[in-house]
Amino acid sequence: MPDIEMKAADKADKKDKKDEKDDKKKEEKKEEPPKPPPTPVQDIKYNVVLIERAVAALEPRFAHRSLRTLTALRKRLDDVVLRNAVEEIFVKDTPTKQSLLSWLPEAPPPPAAAAMEVDSAAAAPKPLAGPEPVPEVDMYLRLLMMHHFETSPSTYAKAIDLAHQTVEKMQALNRRSMDPIAAKIWYALERAYELGSELADARPLFLAAQRTASLRHDDETQASLINRLLRSYLHYNLYDQADKLVSKTTFPASAGNPQFARYHYYLGRIKVVQLNYSAAHTNLQQAIRRAPAATIAPGFYQAVHKLFVVVELLMGDIPDRGLFRHPVLEKALTPYFDIVKAVRTGSLSQFQATLARHAAHFEADRTFTLIVRLRQNVIKTGIRRLSLSYSRISLRDICVKLHLDSEEDAEYIVGKAIRDGVIDGRIVHEKGWMECGGQKGGYGPEVGEVFERRIGYCLELHNQSVKAMRYPLNAHRKELAAAEGAREREKELAKEIQEGDLDDDEMGGEF
Amino acid sequence: MSLKSQYTDLKASFSAQPPDLAKCGRLLTQLKLGLIQAGLLLPHGDANPEDLIVAREILEIGAFWSIRTQDVPSFDRYFSQLQAFYVDYATLPPSKHEYAVRGLHLIRLLTQNRIADFHTALESLPAAVVENPYIAHPVNLERWLMEGSYAKVWGARAEAPAAEYGYFVDSLMGTIRNEIASCEETAYESLPLKDAATLLFFTSQRDLLVFAEQRGWEVNLSLGTITFAKKGEETMDIPKEKIIAASLLYARELEQIV
Repeated sequence: MPDIEMKAADKADKKDKKDEKDDKKKEEKKEEPPKPPPTPVQDIKYNVVLIERAVAALEPRFAHRSLRTLTALRKRLDDVVLRNAVEEIFVKDTPTKQSLLSWLPEAPPPPAAAAMEVDSAAAAPKPLAGPEPVPEVDMYLRLLMMHHFETSPSTYAKAIDLAHQTVEKMQALNRRSMDPIAAKIWYALERAYELGSELADARPLFLAAQRTASLRHDDETQASLINRLLRSYLHYNLYDQADKLVSKTTFPASAGNPQFARYHYYLGRIKVVQLNYSAAHTNLQQAIRRAPAATIAPGFYQAVHKLFVVVELLMGDIPDRGLFRHPVLEKALTPYFDIVKAVRTGSLSQFQATLARHAAHFEADRTFTLIVRLRQNVIKTGIRRLSLSYSRISLRDICVKLHLDSEEDAEYIVGKAIRDGVIDGRIVHEKGWMECGGQKGGYGPEVGEVFERRIGYCLELHNQSVKAMRYPLNAHRKELAAAEGAREREKELAKEIQEGDLDDDEMGGEF
Repeated sequence: MSLKSQYTDLKASFSAQPPDLAKCGRLLTQLKLGLIQAGLLLPHGDANPEDLIVAREILEIGAFWSIRTQDVPSFDRYFSQLQAFYVDYATLPPSKHEYAVRGLHLIRLLTQNRIADFHTALESLPAAVVENPYIAHPVNLERWLMEGSYAKVWGARAEAPAAEYGYFVDSLMGTIRNEIASCEETAYESLPLKDAATLLFFTSQRDLLVFAEQRGWEVNLSLGTITFAKKGEETMDIPKEKIIAASLLYARELEQIV
């Protein structure tokens, strides 16, 4: 009986927490689109407050929350917005402010006047954090500026310069509370280099920074930098180096989901090139699970799925058809869908035709060489279909049906298929035919293995999610205080009851 | 400059018909010493492009030379030294031997059945080079090997784009024969000797018999057949211990969850 009560209480507790979380989420969402959407400047200021709170409370969660809006925010930035933000956040004229403003072009007079008005209206009632904002705020603004410069080709060079200066400053400051922002700054730096198509030049910089970050146990930055390096290697097809980097570094376990998603994607790409398909499959699956929702980051989602489909095919599986009807994926995966159809029917000619038709597309996606490898899978599928539908078939017919070049080839190919366990049968050389064995029963030990794998996966998922739960610091103090209060109240109640008993007695006496 | 004269000497003796391999070997050793002294064997920083081209050519000759003298580990060393020139100094005018060397490297990976390395190496090349005859040859070989068209691999022996490719043919054929033999063991119950010889590309029955003995096949000379040892029917054992261990694990995990 008490057990059940405990459980119920537990559940209620959990529910409360969930509600709390939901509330928080709702709050955040509410803050995102209020009735008149906040101007970008207001957003920036709100984020700055969050960052200051993060620094003050040593709680990186707030900084993460402010960075979460970065994607949405960076689309709405322009020179005027940035200038106003800087003006409003830095109330006094300081060197930091001057250096920030020096990156922005001179504001044209009329908007500046308007800005001044906003300034007096908005900043006056809320004087921001006393004397000088923390350096993290400076970095945040620089980050926004970098993202802004990366939007137009004319300012790419400027973005690189700014990135260099920022990184120098950041490394000189060496503040742990800056780590979440630092990770993002590295991303912006890489992007600047990539847009300027000088990605290879940034590599020594990343390598040096990665070393420092791992010495300082700066997990955020380390995760970000490992991904930057992998991306840079894979961009230039340096799979060997990328593989070595992976084997020499450990990806910090505390890294955020987006970084993990990227890391798994890159790992998947390396593994698939090395023909380690099942490992690649696991990595890509992880990448898909950890990636943000399809509608938020459609590009990544599509890229991962393209590779995922190819890996599944290479493993001899046929991807789910539902995948190709997904609204985000449908269009991007059309060429892959055609390939899947060809592999499924085991028709070599159809496969070759599809490959030729979409070659440019696959080359752009960098999956061409992988898809070429599928040729042997097509043949295997074809042989398998034949072995299922015929109990005996001549090599000549196999040759004709699969569009193979010669009967001799057919014999070798079938022999290989039998050895690889694709089909069960044997070749009778004198008569020139293949005899197919019967179907095996589906209840061997391998069924147990599959079951074991799935259960293992579920348990892993559960353990991971338990580990991923976060509790606010010192929250239990409040509960303790509440419990203390309750106990006192209980005591009082007990006293009252005691007294009340007396009263009752007295009253009873009266009646 | 003695390095220069040795270099021209090496070039001359390597392109001579027939090349003087012993002399080339001596010259290469001296040249490598010279290159180390000049800091060109493993270049870094900004070196004079002309010097780099010379260094590259010396190493390329070294790579070809090691193949001709059948010294594969030496080829590997030359290749990894050349890699620095091909990848890090991509700004140099492309060498006309680059793809020949790379193709040889691919073939070498293939003969050792290092398919994963083969694909990694291939992937790092731009997609267009597959048209290049030096690269196309190993790529085709790999494809045929993977799908099992061994006859095509056998047929392609003569089509090697460079003389050096021939040196790998023998070991490649050894790889193929082993592949075919393992296929035959599972796919056939028995084979006539004559057909087995054609399948394994043996021209004389004696070679076949030696090969059969190595693989432990039963040869019946009077009937003229090879019988392959049948692998015992797989026994369907229930892996008790594994199942018990798994069940206990589930129980423990469930206990933790609830």
